[in-house]
Formats: sequence, structure tokens, C-alpha cells
Amino acid sequence: MQADRTLHLGYMYWANGTHPAGWRHPGAAADRAFDVDYVVEIARRVEDAKFDFFFLGDRLATGTEYQYTNTSVLARPEPFTLASYLATKTSRVGLVVTANTTYSEPFNVARLTASLDHITAGRASWNVVTGSDPRAAGNFTRDRHGDADERYDRADEFVSLVRRLWDTWEDGAFIRNKETGEFVDGALIHSLDHEGPSFRVRGPLNLSRPPQGHPVVLHAGTSERSRQLAAREADVVFGSAATVDEALGYVSDVRARAAAVGRDPARLLVLPGLTPLVGADLEEARALHDQLNDLIVLDEDIRFGGAGPEGWPLAEPPGRREDQGPGRRNLGALSQRLGFDVTGAALTDVVDPAGEQHASADGRRLIETAAGRSGRTVGKDLTWRDVLYAHVWGGHVVVGGPVEIADYMERWLRAGACDGFNVQSAFLVGQLDAFTGLVVPELRNRGLFRAEYSGTTLREHLGLPRPANTLTAAGRVGRPIQPEGARA
Amino acid sequence: MTGQPAGRREMHLGLMFWATGTHAAGWRYPGSRADGAYDIGFIQDVTRLVEEAKFDFLFLGDRLFTDPALAKTNPAQMSRLEPFTAASAIAAATSKIGIVATANPTYYDPYNLARLLASLDHLSHGRASWNLVTGADAMAASNFSRAEHWETEKRYDWADEFVDVVRALWDSWEDDAFVRDPRTGVFVDGSKVHPINHHGRYFDVTGPLNLARPPQGQVVLLHAGTSDRSRELGAREADVIFAAGGTIETAREYYADVKQRAAAYGRGPDEIHILPSLSVIVAETRREAVAIRDRLDDLLPVAEDRLDVRAGSLGQATRRRDDWGVTGDPVEVVDHMQEWFEGGAADGFNLFPPFVPGSVEAFTELVVPELRRRGLFRTEYAGSTFREHLGLVRPQNRFGRPASEPHAGPPELASAHSR
Repeated sequence: MQADRTLHLGYMYWANGTHPAGWRHPGAAADRAFDVDYVVEIARRVEDAKFDFFFLGDRLATGTEYQYTNTSVLARPEPFTLASYLATKTSRVGLVVTANTTYSEPFNVARLTASLDHITAGRASWNVVTGSDPRAAGNFTRDRHGDADERYDRADEFVSLVRRLWDTWEDGAFIRNKETGEFVDGALIHSLDHEGPSFRVRGPLNLSRPPQGHPVVLHAGTSERSRQLAAREADVVFGSAATVDEALGYVSDVRARAAAVGRDPARLLVLPGLTPLVGADLEEARALHDQLNDLIVLDEDIRFGGAGPEGWPLAEPPGRREDQGPGRRNLGALSQRLGFDVTGAALTDVVDPAGEQHASADGRRLIETAAGRSGRTVGKDLTWRDVLYAHVWGGHVVVGGPVEIADYMERWLRAGACDGFNVQSAFLVGQLDAFTGLVVPELRNRGLFRAEYSGTTLREHLGLPRPANTLTAAGRVGRPIQPEGARA
Repeated sequence: MTGQPAGRREMHLGLMFWATGTHAAGWRYPGSRADGAYDIGFIQDVTRLVEEAKFDFLFLGDRLFTDPALAKTNPAQMSRLEPFTAASAIAAATSKIGIVATANPTYYDPYNLARLLASLDHLSHGRASWNLVTGADAMAASNFSRAEHWETEKRYDWADEFVDVVRALWDSWEDDAFVRDPRTGVFVDGSKVHPINHHGRYFDVTGPLNLARPPQGQVVLLHAGTSDRSRELGAREADVIFAAGGTIETAREYYADVKQRAAAYGRGPDEIHILPSLSVIVAETRREAVAIRDRLDDLLPVAEDRLDVRAGSLGQATRRRDDWGVTGDPVEVVDHMQEWFEGGAADGFNLFPPFVPGSVEAFTELVVPELRRRGLFRTEYAGSTFREHLGLVRPQNRFGRPASEPHAGPPELASAHSR
């Protein structure tokens, strides 16, 4: 383990934070998702803190039930347009845009990403997703969402095709000589004539090669097929490990897969998502944790015109995050998660050690998570309500002051469990400011995070080289369009 | 229709942005940028130039196929930024001017396009517009896994239904759907969020969109075309129609026909603006203007009549420049524009700049003041959205209830726990 490794930090923008009730906190901005000045302000704060990138997620379907689980995904600006706007208002921070391969065309995505890379002068990145909300099929004239294999078969071909479209114009293709009237060198512009199982694309793209050669590719890399795609195509992968041990297993797995397809495994960066809940010190952070959780709407709170949650129609079950939505926020749902029945208990009852032993492995970990976040103890003061809150607010959360949070991040980095984190805030803007104002200086004091950008492109921030042109490197797989115009 | 004061009708002006100019040799003209297509700062500068002149809009064209042969006829169309990303970056650097992005429904999904346009409308605070094209490029099919480019009838059947879906998606959130009350925990009023449940010949779209309703309600829609289907689509759906230049006689005939067709859809003559293309070479004197034109033509890579026209209609348009352009001093240019504007041939013009930025600067410095002197063009924006520049009202939401019919109201939630 090298002692001088430093963290790469991304910032995942959720207009209302990751906490399901974060928007209700008195310090939160609850109504500014469509106020672009607000987003600009957030992106600039992230850039001022020298983060590697600012990340925009995306989905292709919505439903009003998201208001109780994740208001940020309910409705928001489309990511390519938002990123292009932010490009003009920032100068160094990378801009990550999410685009779905299941419901788009490679030619369109290649253009959007290449264009964004030009507009940002080399700060663009594409987060490849295949669709976490199956309701998208209903918005795109499809009978069904497709299973993972179908979606990843298409995604595999899609991503490699987009890379080759980026390469259809070699770097020197533009001459633009006013004296001679030569505008381009046709010998450096290539068709693809791609014919695959999912796509037939002739090319070339109608854009100059992106400044980064290839915009940075991100992928979650969780399932088997997703790990395989990440190993082959991704520059940055998120993973979903919650502990150092799990993360070590994950890192060695995806790096081995990358090596197996002939890549340098060190160039696949692993940045797990992390929501640091930051206070001035541990005590203040835990108080904030309780304050936020008190704002979560539990099933017993919901009144829909006198009817309970059963009176409120839930559509098809959405993604995992929504498994903790209304109708699943009670001791019945918690019993299912824990693997034993706690419906006879009251929310305010203390979790007893005997009961904990009946829990499944996942259930025991949930109780452990609740204890870790709240600072309370099984058999003493940890209640079922605390456990239910940990169930409702899923994800990778660490509660603490700057020292505890920096310790946590440093432990992961030094163990080789990650190359950095994709940082998220429980609510905005207070929690972003707490992270940049308290935790980032602590990380810098420890020599773990940059004080200034050393480069200008996202590839440079991440320490990744500009890739060679795949078409010419592979012996001109593409077809020069005007061979008669070739230069020496 | 809010409109101008009675008796005073003003032109609407747009600028077609082609980075290297609409003349095939425009990029070679002294002072022109040969490499401006990828310099967003340059594109923003040109937009601000026409925004200061109070133009209605900047127009970004698009094609879905390229061929390096276009370098000889139209390098600006050979390769360029994708229009939605460019439009958003332009929105970030401007505050009043309308921004037109071109998109071809044949190769898009309505849900994706509805999002891009609604998002651009939010980011620009109501200045977004969609130029709907159905595809002059038959070769685009080969970039989109299609066996063939559909024939006209199918492309327009598809486009008609596509527009219906996009418009319904824009209405799927009522304006006051967001409650966002931290006290009660109610974020949205579900009774004001509407699935569209569209099931048509080509599209099945459930909705709702995952964006708030656009600030303009419905984004401004532009369309161009001369075919019967195109005139019908334009008459029914478009707020602005681009027309080819040609002679004033053909322009009058087109103008009257489209307005008549629009009337059949219950639309008034002020609700649809017909803007022919106009290429202007202007200088202080006619002699100087002619010298500029001659110099430009001398820079063409080959004799004009031997131009490679494989690129299709736009290559031909370049050759026919003189049919729809005007070269002269400011008085001559404005005389021409006024004749069309007052002669039932135009509501304004979509300006094609032969070289950039020189010909745009010349237009704003020489022609715009002369237009204003004659009371033909605004001196200040009256509103801040594109619809307002065009004198169009913000449309009602199709899902909205009349004010007399009360909503059921949002669900009530108990107050937060106290520990």
C-alpha cells in the first residue's frame, strides 16, 4: 500500500440531498431544483473545493411516490442541457452526465457527449446506465424493460460503438487553410460501417474528436454483467460495498476482470458513494441525524383523505431505493428485512440483545448500522424506530465530525478499498458547506486531498492519459472516406 | 395575442448560426473565423451581438449525417456542436434572446426530446424553441440502424403524432403541482400530476414527464417546408414558419396559403409568423457591398456552376444565393425587407449571414438602425420569453381544471415525531 495516495472526490448532485426528508430540514432549499442559479451555486462550491467532478444522475420515468423516498429524482432538469449550462459557469471541475443505453441511440449519445466535451474544453464524462426504473419502458413504446442480459448485451455494443464514433475524425482532420481553401483532410475521417446484433451505424460522427479523445466513462459496476462492462469500458466505477472488507473484495474482482481484458487495472478507479453527515463534532452530527430522521414520514403518519397508505396506489415496484417507500415504512416491513417478527413491539421499545440474535445476517447488519449512525447501543438505548430509520434511509452513510469522517475516508483509502469517494449530501446546501468547510481542510491537513487543480481536463484530474485513436491504433478498422485525398 | 400597439407592426428577426457562414467560402473571407464551430465563447459572442440588436432568436440547425464533401459546399453543416448542448451554453451567456434547437423526430423518442426541450426552457427562463425537421438527409437512416429513410407520408404521420405526445408531456405537471411544504411533508400534489396514457399508431407513452412544466407552458415550435404535408403540420402546430426566399410573388402565394391553412385550425394570422430566409451583404455604399460579394465568390474553391451538390439542397441553396439574397447599401436592403414585410410576403426574416462575424456586425450596425428609423423593428425587448417576443400568450394546460372546480387537495400528513 503506497503511503502517498490521495483521494479522488466526485460530488453527486441531488437537489434535495440523499436523506428522504432532507428537504424538510430548516437549513435546506426545498424548492430550487429548477432554479439554475441554485445549481450553478452548488457546482461552483464543489469546484472551489477542488473536487474531481460534479455528477448529474438521471432516470427515464417518474411517479409521485418518489416524494417520500427521493424528491430529487421526482422531477429535475435533463442532464446534458444542465451540464452544458454549468460548463459556461465553471472552468475546472469535471461534469458527469448520465445517459441510458436502453432508451437512446448511439449516434445521438456520441454527439451529445462529444459536444459537451468540446463545450467544457475536456471536462465531460458519461455515466453509463441501463435503467433502474422499469417504468421507462412505458414511456418509450416498449412492451417491456428487458432483463439484465438483454440490456447489457445492448449496452456492451452501444459503449464500444460510441467510442469508435468519437474516433471517426482523427485529431488532425481539420486543416482550415484560408489560403489554399483546404478545410479538412478526408484521409483522416473514417466511416465505421458497423453492423452488430443491436446496431448498424455507418458514421462518421458529425463532430470533431473530443478534446479528451474519449470523454471519461463511468459505470456503477455492481451486478455480474455490470462489473464486466465496467472492467472493459469504465474509467471510474462506483460499486456498492458498505464495509472495507466487502470493498476490498470488490476492488480485486473488478481489477482482475480489467486485467483479463488487457487493461492496466490501476486505470480503473473505484469511487464508492458516501453520504457524510457532518457536524462540528460527533455529538452535533448525531443530534442532526436524529433531527433529520424525525422528519421522515412513516406509514403511521400518512393520511390520504382519511385512507391509509393502501388507499394510495403504488405503481410497479421501482428500484431498490424505493423498496423503503410508503407502505414499507412500518414494523411489518422491518420484520421482513430483519428476518424475524417485531410487529408486537412498539417503535419506542429498546432493541434487546436476545432479539438481535434472531435476525438474519442482513438484519444484524442493519441493526449494527443503526447503532453506528445513532451512537446508541443494543440493549440500552437503541430503539426499533432507530432501526426502521436506518432501513428507510439506505445507502452508505457515515455520521461524525471532521475528524471521524476523515478517519473513515482515510481508513478506506489506506486499506486499498477505494481510490476516493463519490460524495453526497444528506441535504443542501448546509451539508455541502459542512463537508467542504470542515472535512476537506482536515483531509488536506493529512495530505489526502489536493489544494489546487494540477490540470484542466477531467482526465488530468483523475490521472488518466488521453487515449489513442482506436480506429488508427487497430490498423484502420474504419474506412477512410476519401483515400485519394490522403496526405503523406 | 398581446401584440404591438394598433397600427404598428414590427418585424421579427432571427439569425441562422452557421459558424463559417452561409456562403460556401465565407470562412475564407478576411476576419472570419475558420475554427469557430467548436469555440463556444465565439458562438456566445455572436449571440450576444444579435441579442444587443434585439433579435427574436438565434437559430441552431442540425443534420444527422455528414460527408467530408460538404467541406466544399457547406463546411458549417459538415461538422458542428450538437444543438441542445450548444443552446444551453448559449442560454448561460444571454438573458433575452430566443434560442432555437433543431431536432428530427424521425430519429428521436418523444420522451427524450420533450425532456431536452423542457429543460432548455427552464434553464433559459422561457427562451427555448424547437425547429422540427423531418429529415432532408436520407443517409441519416444509416446512422440509426434503419434500413431506409422513410418516405414523406410516413415521416409526417410519425411527426404529427410525435408532436401530440411531446405537447401532452409538457402539460403532465400542472403549474402548481409542487407544494414543497416542509411543515406538512407534502412535496407534490399528486392530483396535479397527470399520466398522459397515449396509445397511438406509433407511440405508447404513459408519462408523466420527469420535469416541471416549461416556463413557456408550450415551447415555441418552428417548422419549414413547402410540401403539402409540411404546410399542414406548420399551419396546425408551428408558431414560426421558415420559408425559402425566391421571388416576392412566390413568397406571397406561400404566405397566403399557410395563413389560410392556419385559419382552418382556428388560428389567427398573428399567431403564426412567416419568416423567409434572407442573405444580406451590406456596406455603406452599394459599390462596397458588391465588392464584398465579388470577393466572396472569388474565394469559392471551384467555379460556382461546378460545385459538388451531392450534399443536397443546402449545397444548391448556396448556388442560388442571389435568388434570395440582397446586396446593397442600408437603404436598399431595408427597402427590400420593407417591400416583403408590407407586401404580404413576410412577418420578418431569418437572416443567413454569408460570413461570420463580419456580415452580422454589418447588419446590426447598418441595417438595424435603418429599420428602426422607419419604425419597422423594436428598440427594446418588450418581454423576456421567446413567446413574448412573438406576441404569443402562454397556453392553458390541457389537464388543468377550470378555476370553479376545486381540487381534492393534497394529502395531509401528521406532524413530525418528537423524540
